[in-house]
Amino acid sequence: MSHSKLASIFNKDEKRVDWHDKALWFVRHKRDKSVHNVKGWEELRNLGHGIKAHMLSNLDNYLIQFEENAKKNGVEVHWAANDEEHNKLIVDILKENNAKKIVKSKSMLTEECHLNPFLEANDIEVIDTDLGERIVQLAKERPSHIVLPAIHKNRHEVDELFQEHLGTKPCDGDPQYLTGEARKHLREKFISADAAITGVNFAIAETGGFVVCTNEGNADMGAHLAPVHIACMGVEKIIPKQEHLGVFLRLLARSATGQPITTYSSHFKKPRKGTKMHIIIVDNGRSEQLSRPDFRASLHCIRCGACMNTCPIYRRSGGHSYDATIPGPIGSILSPGKDLKKYSTLPFASTLCGSCSDVCPVKIDIHSQLYKWRQIITKETPQPFIKKQSMKAMGKIFANPSQFEIVGKIARWSLRNLPKAVINSKPNAWGKARDLPLGPKQSFDEWFKERENEKKS
Amino acid sequence: MGSRNQILEKIKSNKPELLDLPNIDISLFEENLDLIKEFTKKVEVVGGNIVTANSNEDIIHQIEKIFPDSKVKFSNLENTQSFNTINLATLHKPHDLENLDLLVLESKLAVAENGSIWVSDNEIPVRVLPFIVQHLVLVLSAKDIVPYMHQAYDKLSNLDSDFGVFIAGPSKTADIEQSLVIGAHGALSLTIFLKE
Ligand code: SF4
Repeated sequence: MSHSKLASIFNKDEKRVDWHDKALWFVRHKRDKSVHNVKGWEELRNLGHGIKAHMLSNLDNYLIQFEENAKKNGVEVHWAANDEEHNKLIVDILKENNAKKIVKSKSMLTEECHLNPFLEANDIEVIDTDLGERIVQLAKERPSHIVLPAIHKNRHEVDELFQEHLGTKPCDGDPQYLTGEARKHLREKFISADAAITGVNFAIAETGGFVVCTNEGNADMGAHLAPVHIACMGVEKIIPKQEHLGVFLRLLARSATGQPITTYSSHFKKPRKGTKMHIIIVDNGRSEQLSRPDFRASLHCIRCGACMNTCPIYRRSGGHSYDATIPGPIGSILSPGKDLKKYSTLPFASTLCGSCSDVCPVKIDIHSQLYKWRQIITKETPQPFIKKQSMKAMGKIFANPSQFEIVGKIARWSLRNLPKAVINSKPNAWGKARDLPLGPKQSFDEWFKERENEKKS
Repeated sequence: MGSRNQILEKIKSNKPELLDLPNIDISLFEENLDLIKEFTKKVEVVGGNIVTANSNEDIIHQIEKIFPDSKVKFSNLENTQSFNTINLATLHKPHDLENLDLLVLESKLAVAENGSIWVSDNEIPVRVLPFIVQHLVLVLSAKDIVPYMHQAYDKLSNLDSDFGVFIAGPSKTADIEQSLVIGAHGALSLTIFLKE
């Protein structure tokens, strides 16, 4: 389904859309307040951009260095070309260790690879331990935001879900009570887990270590209790040196939620005594994206979610309307790289206002990449007949100034004089759910000439 | 081994020409922070409590007042053995720490710009300790506060550890309708004793 069709499903509940819009804008606002307090923020973003760009230009060597150091640390390193191989590797490790109960902390990569259904099909229980992810897991949905996975759900829905699955008491959606119950429920899971799966925020080539950031402490509760820890990372998570963490940890949480840093920034290097640590390095389309000069910067992304919070389309259409693991502006440039046809409407789900590029902590030129995808998509995928014809007609009108003037005059007159029913009739998509403004009497050109004449006289 | 070589080959042929690695010029961020003041402010922002103290005895004394009901306790401060109710040397598995009420740890590094405190394998004999405990207490000397993360990593480059974590405040979540709830999966509270 196209983005606009899926968005119209979300838009049916106007109150929810309003809440969603405001809640995310509030997060954007917290981000602003937080970054304005950092001296040299723009320089910090430049550094983030520069380090990532350098990393990509030497990625194969850094990966080799990382692997070598991780192995020295006693960690087993595996490589997966795609989602299938990733999932198979994990099941093999789990079976080898006789692990039947798994706790997983937030990892967009395992979402991307559809790991959960694969584990379940292999008779392995997997519990998402991030509260938001647990909520969507219980609801049998996917996260609608990369940092706030359950932002599309209201407290009453969570209340009902918990009553049904965790046996909680009705509480009118009290977040304190519900979080406390989730803590109890998940503690049991942590204590009894046979293995823990986590994502990776940054992997350091120089040391072979990696960093995982959470606010809830769920990655640590999982990894430090279970006898096996599997960390999954995309190839682009590499940074050359430990000192670069100083740049990225300053950027990440402030851009994500406005916090100066996440509650826990955990630095893993060696497995604890008597336990095993595995790292799975995954490509799954990333090396392909690396080959596209116009789009390779999308691999800089540190998954802060700021571009989603600020996007006027995302805020009003909801994360599920993107029908992809990574929604929002960055998702709309990553997804077409994987499947141009399936995701052909996503680059059009943007006003091209550029707000995403303004807030991106690693300075990805998101909106220009959206524009570039549009050029490719209109050439390579069939466009609706009306759109094609109207674009052609517009092209002709714009190419001829006197014609443009005449058409402009007619349009202004029509907007002033025709009845609403005609103006907002079906073929006019701009008249859907809104009134068009009254047509002005003059064109800009006429107004300007008149003003110049008045100046002279 | 899996697809290792195939992935590396593909990256090698698809990557752009080598770009320079930028240098981090710390002077760009310098603003002469009052370290104690900034640190105190940020600890409050991230939801922690901060208390001043002048000796370990003083700290233990104050802790007993703040947490009168805690039963299972452990501290790694010097000369506080009598405070401990558990012996880590006889611990079979980390899971047995589930009922730990109170943990007191000394740290050697904290960051003013974000109120975070570094704790590593060197201070925590069992990694899960600061996460599984109900109430976490961290003890810090004012001289160990650095202004930014850059200086923190500068210091860490000489302190090798197998595991380490920056902790900023108690565990928290806002996953239910964006309402902040303190106490997710990690500690329910964080108290910091600052020795001047
Ligand atoms: S593209 Fe930039 S703003 Fe968007 S999630 Fe990635 S890092 Fe954050």
